[in-house]
Amino acid sequence: MKRIEARAAAEALFDRSHSPFGAFSLGSETHHAVTMPDAVRRCRWIAVDINATAFALFFSGPSAERAKLVPCFDSDYPSVATTTRLISGANSEDVVRHARVSTAPLWWADDAVAGAAARFAHLPWVERIAPLAPGSAGIAFPVHAERGQCGLVVFLGTAMTLPQHALYEIHARCFALFDAVARMRPAEAGRVGSITKRELECLKLTANGYTSEEIARLLKLSVHTANQYLTQSAQKLNAVSRTQAVAKALRLGLIE
Amino acid sequence: MTATAAQPSFDDVPTRLSSRGDLTAFLTQLAAGIGADSYMLVAVVHDQARSDARIVASNWVFDAIELIGKRIIATLAQGLFTAAPGIRPQPLVAAGAPDTGGLLSGEEVRLLDVFGHAELYSLRLDVGRQRLFALFSSAEPGHIDRSALMRGQMQCCYALSQVPQLLAAATTQDPLSDRERECLFWVSEGKTTDEVALILGVSSNTVNSYITHAIQKFSASNRAMAIATAIRSGII
Repeated sequence: MKRIEARAAAEALFDRSHSPFGAFSLGSETHHAVTMPDAVRRCRWIAVDINATAFALFFSGPSAERAKLVPCFDSDYPSVATTTRLISGANSEDVVRHARVSTAPLWWADDAVAGAAARFAHLPWVERIAPLAPGSAGIAFPVHAERGQCGLVVFLGTAMTLPQHALYEIHARCFALFDAVARMRPAEAGRVGSITKRELECLKLTANGYTSEEIARLLKLSVHTANQYLTQSAQKLNAVSRTQAVAKALRLGLIE
Repeated sequence: MTATAAQPSFDDVPTRLSSRGDLTAFLTQLAAGIGADSYMLVAVVHDQARSDARIVASNWVFDAIELIGKRIIATLAQGLFTAAPGIRPQPLVAAGAPDTGGLLSGEEVRLLDVFGHAELYSLRLDVGRQRLFALFSSAEPGHIDRSALMRGQMQCCYALSQVPQLLAAATTQDPLSDRERECLFWVSEGKTTDEVALILGVSSNTVNSYITHAIQKFSASNRAMAIATAIRSGII
């Protein structure tokens, strides 16, 4: 950790006695969570701060055609709670669509849950939706990570408290948490490390519409070599065609 | 809702936006709330092979944008030196700021200072899958409250979520029909034309024609480029 970061982290922790971010403040949290249990623990801290009884983190599919929530972990980690399964089930399509176009938090409260109905009605920015799981009350924060991954951090509980000024901090901490989780998640990360600079150049030019012949001319290679680079990169990315290799490289952030 | 004493006036910014005027009022009040004098919102537009940045809203003076702002924006469009939500931001320009890797020369820092941007923060905003940048600066170093800045960052995300039409003008539209998008998506997953035809329950000629249309709409030269364009602009 660089000195300047250390200073900022220290400042965040000890600067003010009534730190609005709780014991582990926003800035310092990014340096934690390198494993899944760490991430779960961090999520639990957030849950405790808003008095939630359960939580879950979901990834949402990369496209509208796969509009569904994929659970990553929840408060029952390492197993998966029933509510989590319910949420990622049939109801999630609208929520995923929402997360693609808006960052506004969503909340719900089943009528069966007494007293929960008015829980978040006073908050600005948030939107009320139909319950994601029957008989529950909760709030869902859309989150996005560096490389375009999209997800949802959900907190459940009938006695949650979330004052307006805390809303922003909680959501920002969810962002930092999701970013940390998204960093450790790419299963392909280990494999794509072996892609060479030359192969990436060829992929990038393909993405920009160049044919193998044009790439060969631009990079002063033979057409066979250019094709070989593309085939190799497709193999390394576990893609069946060069088109899919381009798509995967873009989604993984290997090329811009 | 009464704000606690620790957050004076900060929670009073407008929370219902529908027009450009609302956005300007929101940004002005938000900037005042965090101790900033200037704001600028920048949308990154993915136009085929290039990334372009466009200013959505700003109260910078024209000369400052011309002389220095554009250069900063071009760097930010590549995702450099920008704090994501939840990451404690570091000033881009300030006395004793971390080395920004030669982003700005001494002369440029002086220029910024002259125009009232002695301290400059750059924040990433996520509005759904759309990514923007916000620059907040103050003429006096140390004026900007960093904790308030981080809360303001989230408020900006929420506010912009309410006015997608203002961003739509600045960003790539989705020109594709549902069917064309579906076809492109499956091809990007490595499916062949015949496989896509099977998945969608249409003939392979139809699939090819959908893809050809998509290629034309993007004025791309082939499938790979059409798919790259669609992914870059967040369509698939």
